[in-house]
Amino acid sequence: MSLLSVSGVSKRFGGIVANRGISFDVEPGELVGIIGPNGAGKSTLFEVITGFYRPDEGEVRLDGARLTGLSPDVVCRRGIARTFQKLRPFQGLTVLDNVMVGALTRTTDVRHARERARELVGKVGLAEKAEAHARTLSTGQRKRLELARGLATEPRVLLLDEVTGGVDQRTIPELVRLVRSLHAGGLTLLVIEHNMRVITAVAQRIVALHLGEVIADGPPDQVTRDRRVVEAYLGLAYVP
Amino acid sequence: MKAVAPATVVFLCAGLAPLVVRDAFLLDSLVLVLIWGSAAAAWNVAGGYAGQISLGHSAFFGIGAYAAALIVTRWELSPWLGLAVGALVATAIGLVVGYLSNRLRGPYFVLATIAFSQVLLIVGSRWRGFTAGSEGIPVPFRPGFWTLGIADKRVWVWIALALAVLAYLVQRYLDRSRRGYQLVAVREDEDAALSLGVPARWLKVAAICVSAALTAACGALWAQYIGFVDPFYVFSVDLSVKFALAAIIGGLGTALGPFLGAALITTVETYLRAQFGGLGTGLIGIYLIVYGCALIVMVRWVPHGLVGWIGEGLRRRAAPAAR
Ligand SMILES: Nc1ncnc2c1ncn2[C@@H]1O[C@H](COP(=O)(O)OP(=O)(O)O)[C@@H](O)[C@H]1O
Ligand SMILES: [Mg+2]
Repeated sequence: MSLLSVSGVSKRFGGIVANRGISFDVEPGELVGIIGPNGAGKSTLFEVITGFYRPDEGEVRLDGARLTGLSPDVVCRRGIARTFQKLRPFQGLTVLDNVMVGALTRTTDVRHARERARELVGKVGLAEKAEAHARTLSTGQRKRLELARGLATEPRVLLLDEVTGGVDQRTIPELVRLVRSLHAGGLTLLVIEHNMRVITAVAQRIVALHLGEVIADGPPDQVTRDRRVVEAYLGLAYVP
Repeated sequence: MKAVAPATVVFLCAGLAPLVVRDAFLLDSLVLVLIWGSAAAAWNVAGGYAGQISLGHSAFFGIGAYAAALIVTRWELSPWLGLAVGALVATAIGLVVGYLSNRLRGPYFVLATIAFSQVLLIVGSRWRGFTAGSEGIPVPFRPGFWTLGIADKRVWVWIALALAVLAYLVQRYLDRSRRGYQLVAVREDEDAALSLGVPARWLKVAAICVSAALTAACGALWAQYIGFVDPFYVFSVDLSVKFALAAIIGGLGTALGPFLGAALITTVETYLRAQFGGLGTGLIGIYLIVYGCALIVMVRWVPHGLVGWIGEGLRRRAAPAAR
């Protein structure tokens, strides 16, 4: 059975159809990329999966159990963590405390949560910043922080909204390495990413959205060659 | 442990003061500082830790004051029972208010709390058959601990101190417990907290309930201490502002802050009363002006309150010495 299954999800905002009958499955251990032009409905889909938005139609299941209708905190406890496209660290808290909030979802023991948080802060390469306030971090560091925070909730599926968006070019390889190592460790990931080089390098499968609809779903080399994807998103100039 | 030491000193001093101080005025001030400090600490649980800024907390204070006064005057039972009933009623109302206002954020939540306290003011001042209406309730003095008819102000210092320590310990629990971390996360960013599995909605309600119960306890003791319950005072916006301001001046989300803030505010109020007491009702206006100015000054120049300011000063002093 698929680990995460999205079936027939539609979401409208007034006249705008942000998601239209979106269906796809994610298998355990898979890293699935989501691409599409701005406004294609990628972030909206994440909001629907994580329970922040209720879809007008369709449903989302995790390991066969229905997630749709549950509140976001329950969805997280069921095993879905996410990062936000517009990053939202707890600005006034230290890096360590930020991650502890995630860890405390899985343990009631504060000391244990702190140890776990320290481990994860190290894992994402923020050990030196552990005691720094989140508001002092660079964008790249904030992305790592959100990653560590999400990981601390011990997700079965991790959703990343624009891993490299807005990040200094030089730090992209590190972020990519980090995502890869998480995947290699057995984590299932669903990743929105604009940088085609990045997504084709890390994803086993890519789902392309356009105007709220799935226009392609398959291995990276196949999707990047798809006529509709090239027209809608990549442009003729793109050479894989 | 670092944060506990100053509080131990402060509360120890307050507890020992009655053994040394004989002056009735000073003891009276100390009782009031401890009661207002406890109320500010109670407010801080919702406003400081959970970020649920309320300007309607006088509602809970008034519920406690009325519960104690009514139980004594109508049923001739112990005001301690009144305190318990007041705390229970406030919890129940906190539950309803917290639930109803759960999705309101920022100024909408603040407005809802003000409106709520004003509804209670109307009930308290108009329901003549039950609350004695706008005349208020004089609380009869029946000597004894069980009846809280205590003339000795030193005993009142210790009673108020017990309340203060309780309120302080509730905050310390939030400083170090799982629920406290989660509550602070909700304050910082509710959606981010939700995305990490924090049950934000019910945590906010729980914080409001605890805050309401403690505030009601303050109101109950205050009514017995002062001996009179006036609806226009106990349900006033002024009082709500005072709780909030004491916590903000002392340091939002810090355990000792509200007590420091209350000490400062009570001192200033006492001074103003001595200076402008002859103005009668005009005094209310002066308080509000002073509160308003204090708020502007704090937000602009001392954003982390007295606790943050003093802590900063100590750190600056300690830093060169350490080298
Ligand atoms: N909360 C909202 N209210 C109204 N419209 C929205 C909202 N969120 C997204 N949209 C609209 O839905 C469409 C899809 O947006 P989004 O999911 O953010 O796209 P993407 O992440 O693919 O760039 C856009 O047209 C956007 O303007
Ligand atoms: Mg987006």
